[in-house]
Amino acid sequence: MRSFVETIRSLWKDPMGKIGIIGILLLIFMALFAGQLAPYPYDAIGMKFQAPSGEHLFGTDKFGRDVFSRVLYGAGVSLEVGIIAVGIGAGFGYLLGLAAGYFEGWTDRVIMCLMDILFAFPSILLAIFISAVLGKGIGPTMVAIGIVNIPVFCRTVRAAVISAKGLEYVKNAQSVGVKTWPILIRHISPNVVAPFTVQATLALSGAILTEATLSFLGMGIQPPDPSWGSMLAEARANMVRSPWTALFPLLFIVVTILVFNILGDALRDVLDPKLKV
Amino acid sequence: MKLSKRFFALALAGVMVLALAACGGNGGNSTPPSQSPAPTPDAGSSAPAAPVEQVLKYGTDTWPAGFDPHTISAIAATRVFNQVYESLISFNPDMTFQGVLAESWETPDDTTYIFHLRKGVKFHNGREMTAEDVEYSFNRILGKTDAGDIGALGSSASYYGGIDTIEVVDPATIKFTLKAPNAAFMSSLTSSYGAIVPKEVVEQNNGSLASIETMCGTGPFVYKDSVVDNYITLEKNADYWEAGSPKLDGITYYLMADESTRLAALRTGDINLCSLSALNLSEVQNDSSVKVLSYQSNNYTYLGFNLSSKKLQDKNVRQAMSLAVDRDAIIDYVYNGEATVSTFVAPAMGHWVWDAPKESPLYKKNIDEAKKLMEAAGYSDSNRMTLTVAAGLLDSIRDTVVILQQQLKEIYIDVEISNLESGEYVDIWGKMDTPEAGFDAMCGQNGSGTDPNRAVSFFFSSTGNANVWGYKNDKVDELCAQGVATTDESQRETYYLEAQKIVIDECPNLFFASPMEYFFVSAGLEGFAPYAANANNFNSITLK
Amino acid sequence: MRNYIVRRLLQLLPVLLGISIVIFAVLRLIPGGFASGMLGIDATPELIAQVEARYGLDQPAVTQYLRWMSGVLHGDFGQSFRSGAAILPEMMTRFGVTAELTILAAVISWCIALPLGILAAVKRNTMADRVVRVAALLGVSVPGFALSILVILFLSLAFNYYPPLDYVGFFTDPGKNLEIMALPALILGASMSGSVMRMTRSSVLEIFRQDFIKTVRAKGASEWVTIVRHVLRNALIPIVTLVGMQIGSLLGGAVVIEQIFSLPGLGLMTLTGINNRDYPVVQGCVLFIAFIYVLVNLVVDILYAYIDPRISYD
Repeated sequence: MRSFVETIRSLWKDPMGKIGIIGILLLIFMALFAGQLAPYPYDAIGMKFQAPSGEHLFGTDKFGRDVFSRVLYGAGVSLEVGIIAVGIGAGFGYLLGLAAGYFEGWTDRVIMCLMDILFAFPSILLAIFISAVLGKGIGPTMVAIGIVNIPVFCRTVRAAVISAKGLEYVKNAQSVGVKTWPILIRHISPNVVAPFTVQATLALSGAILTEATLSFLGMGIQPPDPSWGSMLAEARANMVRSPWTALFPLLFIVVTILVFNILGDALRDVLDPKLKV
Repeated sequence: MKLSKRFFALALAGVMVLALAACGGNGGNSTPPSQSPAPTPDAGSSAPAAPVEQVLKYGTDTWPAGFDPHTISAIAATRVFNQVYESLISFNPDMTFQGVLAESWETPDDTTYIFHLRKGVKFHNGREMTAEDVEYSFNRILGKTDAGDIGALGSSASYYGGIDTIEVVDPATIKFTLKAPNAAFMSSLTSSYGAIVPKEVVEQNNGSLASIETMCGTGPFVYKDSVVDNYITLEKNADYWEAGSPKLDGITYYLMADESTRLAALRTGDINLCSLSALNLSEVQNDSSVKVLSYQSNNYTYLGFNLSSKKLQDKNVRQAMSLAVDRDAIIDYVYNGEATVSTFVAPAMGHWVWDAPKESPLYKKNIDEAKKLMEAAGYSDSNRMTLTVAAGLLDSIRDTVVILQQQLKEIYIDVEISNLESGEYVDIWGKMDTPEAGFDAMCGQNGSGTDPNRAVSFFFSSTGNANVWGYKNDKVDELCAQGVATTDESQRETYYLEAQKIVIDECPNLFFASPMEYFFVSAGLEGFAPYAANANNFNSITLK
Repeated sequence: MRNYIVRRLLQLLPVLLGISIVIFAVLRLIPGGFASGMLGIDATPELIAQVEARYGLDQPAVTQYLRWMSGVLHGDFGQSFRSGAAILPEMMTRFGVTAELTILAAVISWCIALPLGILAAVKRNTMADRVVRVAALLGVSVPGFALSILVILFLSLAFNYYPPLDYVGFFTDPGKNLEIMALPALILGASMSGSVMRMTRSSVLEIFRQDFIKTVRAKGASEWVTIVRHVLRNALIPIVTLVGMQIGSLLGGAVVIEQIFSLPGLGLMTLTGINNRDYPVVQGCVLFIAFIYVLVNLVVDILYAYIDPRISYD
């Protein structure tokens, strides 16, 4: 297993990896310093539908709010939703996968059956249901997308645990009565890191896409909160007259998802060329 | 061997795909396309002599939730079944009554209404409509029929709860006797809740008219066919009682949930009528293929306060908010200027309206005065009030709240917004006088209806069904009771004007704007003049 | 082999049972019930109670669930609260539309992805490889709903074209049916092609690494002959298994696409059902969708087990 620094270094050597890393850093920079970078507050109303100009780089929307400022703040919202949602999915997925693989038997069967149940819903439909129950807004959207992501992570971890259990020295440890789960955790961690990182990067892009789609259907982040998805949903009535209100948030959605996908792809090549989807 | 296995597997996969595809075709739809297939290739719109097909293509946003006129009042449904079913009477543009299935009527005393029915009117199944059908329909609404009490399930029963007896005088005459004088009775009869339906059709369908195939009324259009969630075709009723009407050969409704796709289809001529929000007005300004027909609705937007909330029981706070709101700004941003400042009796109601925008000091934006009131109530920059607001279903409501949030910021109020779904909205609506609602206020759009009894009593008397705010004022209650107990118009006017003054001064709700409603139609559509009380009369439409 | 299939089928039962319980419970947790949604602002507690009694919603949840399940086991999915129409026939009709859309989209995604994936593998780490990969990723990155609306707007403004509005089945009018399906299927297919392309590329790469290909190459066969005759044939198998995974995303994508293009499919039926709180409709649709998904995956697994001798099905 290579160290983190080494992974980054080999990523950097790959042109795709380089694009990915730079893209992510830019996004994080936007999200962290939105308050400093944005020329206007994201909710200040003014003269509506102004075309892009020096004063309003991306123009203004139907309330005269500065689209550029909203896009900057939106970076924070979209990343926050993505990261926390994937965190929820990965965290619970890890624990459940560990439990399933370690205990086997009934625990395994029950957990995997639960995962199969979650997996059998098309993910966007599942997200729609969960957010219908939990309500709308940032929190529920994150939880909904998080739950959708649990099964993938759970399966990855379970497979790693089971293959680790078959290893000679784990079996030996078990036979001398040493508790095996600390060994397992120590052993599977490196095995899991690679698929996990790749999976997480791809899940992030999926989360941002799901958030945008939920917002489009009116169920995700609610206006006036500036997520890119909700901005796009709000702007669609004016796409012909003032395309900038829709195109800039769309551009950022597409570029962000693209960057995460490129990074995920490059990571996969670096970490394990044999890994598949 | 190995290879043949693989081949077998691939072949199996192929068969699976084909089987699914076949299923797709078969199951899709067995009904042939409704109209003559001619219009499909007419992309070159310059074909000179060919007469334009007289079928109105209507882009609608929501599939009707059911087709029983006695149960459903949602616009998505009424816009379809109002072409099929008819009531006894309807409104003229000046809010006087015109006969539909009733030709004339008399009121010998305050509680007796006698209607003389139009003769020779036929249901779509060919049978003539008589007074017995009127009796049956109202019994169904009131839940008094053998077929069950389906009608009473909806809210229609509450519309006609004042009816004591219904009597068939002769096949063309029907007599209603009311329990008490009710000035709003006539206008309640114009509602589609009062549609006349044929008994035998109800009974053939086990009492339910919810399904689209059961539609059988007396109206200008007859149900032909449909594909759920896709289209509904109505065709001309050749036997319609009004000679020369309707001019169209048919109407096809297409489900198009998204506004931008409706506008796109209108531009290409694939539909020739749809409703769109005001935000689209500027999109079609320079478009010669699209014109806009508008009318003043009798709806109004409001912010209703949960009066179980301590901070809102202070009248100063409510008045301060009324003073801080710039209603013209709301109209400009949300409705592109196409709305009128309104109270809960919308301007379309004419002589019933108290002109608050002119008369009430609370309608003139005055931030200094508002701040003073807030400061008197103990608020300041360091002690701000948080106001949780539930926003109703329409985009225009959600937009209104965004503007309110900015405007109330100035007077030490921080608005927190939650947008509701339809089911939630009704649930919370019913709880708005309790802390259980979870909100300090609700922003939405209500209708003034057609009679001040609905506009005033229904929403603000303490017994009104829609007074969900916990608002009670004895004087208003008294005025409402007086207003419905007499049929003398000028007398009623004084009562209701007085009540309006009190409600507007006490601010149990804030009122903002009465929006215009729009039909976006193709340039070749003529003969359509919608008005609030009758927006779906397509009888004289022609297409060019 | 037969044992394996039987066992897999038996394993499906708890999953389907679980799905039915989950969906039943979730629907009743959604705030805002059917009755208040139907009655609107005129609702009073008495009216709500009346409506709930009529539709059996006043019964305990367990009773309601058992009643529903026993119906389903007898092939009766009940009636829509709203329209009163029987749900199963309606679902079958709707499924036809969704199935056609899904299959067309899948085929389109293969047509785009297979050649490009092979190209990227053969020319790996060249400019061509990168361009293809980024292009494929771009397809995944554009939200389907935004692409749909942009395409509709573009076609209507530039060519005064809008796809036909009244749906017809394939066997009634194939030409018109395909015209209706073309845009949604293309958009859905394009968004799926990224993952298929990725899969093709990596499985082709893997086969390149295997010894027998090296032998073929050493014998001096030309590059394209090698690819077509040996690599593609072997690489196709893992790609076929991708169908199972694709089905989920396609069915999900169909929910949104059907709404925008007004296709009367299963996704739109579900979405309308959720908005109307029409419990039996949503329950039926979700169970049905899940069933299809699980079934397709089972078929793919069986195929895979059958093809690949390394997988044992004891």
